[in-house]
Amino acid sequence: MSDRLKTVFCGIEFKNPIITASGTFGYGLEYAKHIDISRLGGISVKGISLQETAGNPMPRIMETTSGMLNAIGLQNVGVDKFINEKLPELRKHDTKIIVNFWGKTIDEYVAVARILDDADVDMLEMNISCPNIKEGGIAFGTDPKMTYEVTYNVKKAIKNKPLMVKLSPNVTNIKVYAKACEQAGADAISAINTLLGMSVNIHTRKPNIYNVTGGLSGPAIKPVAIRMVHETFRTVNIPIMGIGGIIDWRDVVEFGLVGASAVQVGTANFIDPEIPLRIIDDLDKYMAENNISNFSELIGKVDLTR
Amino acid sequence: MKGKVVKNQQLNDKYFFLEIKSEEFVTQANVGQFLMIKPGSQDYTHDPLLRRPLGIADVKDGKFSLVYMVVGKGTKLLSEFHEGGMIEFSAPLGNRFTLLENKRVALVAGGIGIAPVFWLAKTLKTRGCVVDLYYGGRTVDDVVLLEELKENTDHLIVTTDDGSAGIKGYVTLPFKENVETYDMVYTCGPKPMLQTVSEICINADVPVEVSLDERMACGLGACLGCIIYVKDGDEIVQKRCCVEGPVFDGSKIAWDKLI
Ligand SMILES: Cc1cc2nc3c(=O)[nH]c(=O)nc-3n(C[C@H](O)[C@H](O)[C@H](O)COP(=O)(O)OP(=O)(O)OC[C@H]3O[C@@H](n4cnc5c(N)ncnc54)[C@H](O)[C@@H]3O)c2cc1C
Ligand SMILES: Cc1cc2nc3c(=O)[nH]c(=O)nc-3n(C[C@H](O)[C@H](O)[C@H](O)COP(=O)(O)O)c2cc1C
Ligand code: FES
Repeated sequence: MSDRLKTVFCGIEFKNPIITASGTFGYGLEYAKHIDISRLGGISVKGISLQETAGNPMPRIMETTSGMLNAIGLQNVGVDKFINEKLPELRKHDTKIIVNFWGKTIDEYVAVARILDDADVDMLEMNISCPNIKEGGIAFGTDPKMTYEVTYNVKKAIKNKPLMVKLSPNVTNIKVYAKACEQAGADAISAINTLLGMSVNIHTRKPNIYNVTGGLSGPAIKPVAIRMVHETFRTVNIPIMGIGGIIDWRDVVEFGLVGASAVQVGTANFIDPEIPLRIIDDLDKYMAENNISNFSELIGKVDLTR
Repeated sequence: MKGKVVKNQQLNDKYFFLEIKSEEFVTQANVGQFLMIKPGSQDYTHDPLLRRPLGIADVKDGKFSLVYMVVGKGTKLLSEFHEGGMIEFSAPLGNRFTLLENKRVALVAGGIGIAPVFWLAKTLKTRGCVVDLYYGGRTVDDVVLLEELKENTDHLIVTTDDGSAGIKGYVTLPFKENVETYDMVYTCGPKPMLQTVSEICINADVPVEVSLDERMACGLGACLGCIIYVKDGDEIVQKRCCVEGPVFDGSKIAWDKLI
């Protein structure tokens, strides 16, 4: 593969701008059995917390029109087990590792970030937007003061790794949150996380998800994600990783045009584990055919003239 | 993976029998495994979005079969595939049944639970087992492929809730009368039936394997959407139906935690 896809993001060199999204790719190892994960630009692993977390009761998922709802409840093995049991295996594959993490309090966020800052990982992605946990997530990602506060404290506590903050789309004005992250010292922004949704079984009259509400993902949310990346790009100067409903190379180009320097592929991994690899090949072909020498040439090139 | 549809035959108002040619798939498949199949042939629509899990019902001559019930839009689209069409699916997924040799075994299937049991019966038979199949359904429409099943079992006991085929009543009743005569029991079907079969087996001290189904998004162990609760000593632990299952030790399932 040529240098066309090589992507420098926060000073880290990715083979290509295609990264698999947190919570949709396990710890990477689940997929290593099915595809060559070293071909990926990077992997963002399932959200890690200080303690092992069991997650929500079942049912946790429901398909919706061109999308799905999930309320997994941030089930994960905890930061120690991740570092000792998962990371060494994952490191055998030549790809960048982004660790998605979360906490219920600022102290917890800081504690996990400190541990990961000293671990053999490439980048941290702070999830302040997960709508599933009552005590945490939602409060940090939907109150600009809290967004600033948690970003500032985590950034202050780490020395080695770039910090990317993942924004919640469940807000009226995403620009305010993007700005808060930048001012608090975030090195990058990823957007978007899932949109809060709900569906009901009309026969039993019960919600289809135990948690009642869940996070909507998949192609259904792409226009919302495109709009939010567009607005974020026009508000801050730090790089953006675009996420939301990506299924093929066209979606990646679209995210590039509105300002994403790289992208994450989420729900599509569930449909077919080959999808991110197909996107890499197809994107390379598209760029070759259109004389685009690097993905960065596309960033923010949406033509808004009327 | 991709394969060619050899046959997509309607068995009755609800059930279909789908046969697909794929050497690649067949060489990897084990009894008890399932696949995720793309319910449609178009590339330009993303609805329905996810592939659908279906049990592998048979494997022979470079072909494999699925038996499915039309319950929603995915299975409806599946029923519209024509002979000769290409269809996309995953590799064989999940664990497998424990295959005994020269033993007396009972298989208990309810409704669409017949799918993985079909291949299991054939396989156990070729391994010298005496195979009794207890097969229950709501009505005559829920018990299919009876001729083929008769050929591949020693005794076929059919029951229906309304008596429209076989013995009237639940399948667990005739099974319970004979449970002590078996070395091993395998079961697949609705959860209440699986629970009853497991309890009967626990009481009779006969090992039992159950094949469970849960809503699935990935089928690969990544989404954590398909949790099954299993007893481990005094603790209850979470297992993923798609990778640690779909076959579980029936005596270890925490039934009251499943929905
Ligand atoms: C390991 C495994 C093996 C299976 N094997 C078979 C099989 O061999 N033959 C067969 O006919 N079916 C099988 N199923 C069930 C099958 O996957 C569902 O019936 C199918 O996904 C429904 O898709 P749909 O789009 O037609 O229905 P949808 O429109 O998605 O839903 C229609 C109805 O089906 C229910 N449903 C959806 N997904 C599942 C599911 N995974 N399990 C149970 N109910 C579900 C929904 O709650 C709803 O009531 C299996 C499921 C699993 C997990
Ligand atoms: C089952 C599931 C689990 C997820 N878990 C996490 C998580 O742990 N942390 C996080 O930041 N985002 C999580 N997400 C959100 C995704 O990373 C992504 O932002 C979102 O799904 C939108 O992208 P998509 O439409 O490509 O899936 C999860 C999404 C799904 C579907
Ligand atoms: S279906 Fe995704 S973990 Fe089992």
